[in-house]
Amino acid sequence: MGSPEELQETGEWTGQKVRIYPVTRIQGRADIEVFFTPHQKPRGARFRALEYRGFEEMVPGMPALRGPSVMSRLCGPCGLTHQLLSCLAIESALDVEVPQAAASFRELISWLFLAQSHLLTMVYSVLPDYALPMSDVSVRNVAGIYSVDREGVSRLLAALAAFTRAISAVAGLPAHPSVVVPGGTSYLPAAEGLHRVSEMLAEGREDIAETLRLVEMLTRRSSRMIDPGPPLKGFYVTTSADGFADINGDSVTISRFDGEERRVVDPDSFLDMLDKRPVGWSYLVPVAILKGEPCLVGPMARVNLGFGPEAAWACEERARILEEWGAPLDGELLFFTALALEVIWAWENASRLLEGGTISGTDSCSVPTMSESGAVAVLETPRGTALHWLAMDRGGAVAEYRVVSSLQLNQALLDDHLTSVALKEVGGLEISDITSQRLQFAVRSFLPCVSCGTH
Amino acid sequence: MYVATAALCACGGCHCSLMTVGEPFIALLADNSISYSSHFVDRRTIAPSDVVLVTGGIRNAEELEIASEIGRTSRKVIAVGSCAVYGGIPGAGDIPPVEVEDGSGLPALLPRLEPLDTAVPVELYVPGCPPPPNLIFEALKSVVEGYSSIRFDSTVCSDCPRRVQRGPVRRWTLHPGTGVHGADCLLSGGMMCLGPVTRGGCRASCPARGAVCAGCRGPSDAVLSSQLHSMYADMVKYVGLTCGTREDKVAREMAALLRWMYLFTRRDPVTRARIREKVVDG
Ligand code: SF4
Ligand code: SF4
Ligand code: SF4
Repeated sequence: MGSPEELQETGEWTGQKVRIYPVTRIQGRADIEVFFTPHQKPRGARFRALEYRGFEEMVPGMPALRGPSVMSRLCGPCGLTHQLLSCLAIESALDVEVPQAAASFRELISWLFLAQSHLLTMVYSVLPDYALPMSDVSVRNVAGIYSVDREGVSRLLAALAAFTRAISAVAGLPAHPSVVVPGGTSYLPAAEGLHRVSEMLAEGREDIAETLRLVEMLTRRSSRMIDPGPPLKGFYVTTSADGFADINGDSVTISRFDGEERRVVDPDSFLDMLDKRPVGWSYLVPVAILKGEPCLVGPMARVNLGFGPEAAWACEERARILEEWGAPLDGELLFFTALALEVIWAWENASRLLEGGTISGTDSCSVPTMSESGAVAVLETPRGTALHWLAMDRGGAVAEYRVVSSLQLNQALLDDHLTSVALKEVGGLEISDITSQRLQFAVRSFLPCVSCGTH
Repeated sequence: MYVATAALCACGGCHCSLMTVGEPFIALLADNSISYSSHFVDRRTIAPSDVVLVTGGIRNAEELEIASEIGRTSRKVIAVGSCAVYGGIPGAGDIPPVEVEDGSGLPALLPRLEPLDTAVPVELYVPGCPPPPNLIFEALKSVVEGYSSIRFDSTVCSDCPRRVQRGPVRRWTLHPGTGVHGADCLLSGGMMCLGPVTRGGCRASCPARGAVCAGCRGPSDAVLSSQLHSMYADMVKYVGLTCGTREDKVAREMAALLRWMYLFTRRDPVTRARIREKVVDG
């Protein structure tokens, strides 16, 4: 029961510990435990999920046709992707071809939700860490920042409003939209509706550009104040298409941060590479990727792999940012920038789809015929790679359901990183507010989603 | 005023909905004081508050403790979302046992999820999964500014642009939206839309876009008005009338779909007298 290395080797989380509870400004309820040597030196830290959702156990027996709307409720910020994953798994199992217009409409909604989710995270969760990191708790929050810099916050909110209005126009509510259904979509918006959405996004362009500038300015300033943790080691992972990150990609790319190795696998092979590593101290089951651990999924992973050429603006900004900070992005400080870059990426892709004319017609859904079958689907939630696998019986009821989410994949690297930060920053059993915030900042940079994680 | 938000067993969708309100919401927070909110603020303890928005139901010992503490320290509690109001989708099934390490300190799971008001007196209920942003914000504003909130006693059908086509339904399907275009009522196409028995206020968000109303805002006032009504009984009556089919035949056909009528409201809520009180809205 001694050194951090020993802890790494044995996995024995023992000894005196200090608990930081709850971790704030994340999705879901969690704590951080910092463990100490008998000499009161930190020896390790871990992030624990304190809640349990249990949807995997709830869905067997339900008609698979209603599975997507149930699985969507796993998580608010990532709900749309879970709904889509559930639909894709059903469609792949039953060999259903989704009408082209519906596939494009789904893609449009996915980009809009990606941007909305990122902007909500940026405004409410991340901004206080960069704008007023050393301030008192009463002002270190979005309302406090708004009181001192109304203009800056308003810019971010205007960018958010562009996507929120677009979502409301085509998909309905800002979470769990019902329009994504097995076989396609429940409708296709009319041309005038799409035109209005196009205008909403066009109006938001300048605010989105300003958002990136503001984020970069705050990141540069923070880099002088926050001692960045050590660079992340291991692999970054994202779904991809044609060698670029793609939230709806048909393959998964696994790359070493040091550039030594890159593999591209299909969803079935990816499923075979996953290895559950249950622990008794958290409601979350960490999952490793065999020959690809520890791994990072999420915005930084996607930015590292790069955006396809259809997103010229995002590509240009990415190239400039990588030139400034060095490739790949492997420091926690840069995840704010990665979020802002992805908002541009989403904006461009949504605008492209709106202009492309592919979302038209009346054929929105190929209704599946149920049979005994099963399949896997992999996509990117805003917070990283996720997988759904389901098996159905002859009557179309769910026989078995499995979910793997971004936090499960990230947990090992998150704990490694948290431990390095704790070893550097924690002086003893008394953990100050600033140190506690530093540890939570390390956690937030992984965009943990406890709801998804404990499905 | 001291304003707070808390999430119990929640997916975060209700908080997302509230946060998309954007500037008016943040301005309200800035004009008042946030006593705690793990979504926005780094305070770790539950402090006395004038109004607390609570999302999610109660599923483990920690959530029960948080809810009780909120009850002890708050003047007014608003239950936001169908999880908090009715138990929502996570309340639709029993909770399986999960193995954890002895001494892990992880909160013990309860046998099943309970709505918020089993532990705390609730002032306002804003059902929905999630409720539309404006309804949550209105509920908050009404308490902060001291006016009476709007109560939606209509049904989803009242706001729906689709029109009933009289005639028999050949087969009922659980598919949530097969792409019916035009202005035909989804029920007429054999899709089980719960619009006739569901509380309005969402501007018929789903049927307006071709998807069935899954009943996320819970039963309408009419359904809650007496023990003689229930979502199922009222649906059978309504479908019998509009399709011109005998009620007993409709009842038989719809029996298989029964479970889906209570996805958000858990078992048969109408027979639970206290649910009848849940008619106040945001
Ligand atoms: S009511 Fe719906 S959106 Fe709100 S917490 Fe529950 S599942 Fe999520
Ligand atoms: S039953 Fe559904 S589709 Fe028909 S009018 Fe009512 S809400 Fe609209
Ligand atoms: S239409 Fe029904 S399911 Fe859809 S948001 Fe309204 S109440 Fe909820």
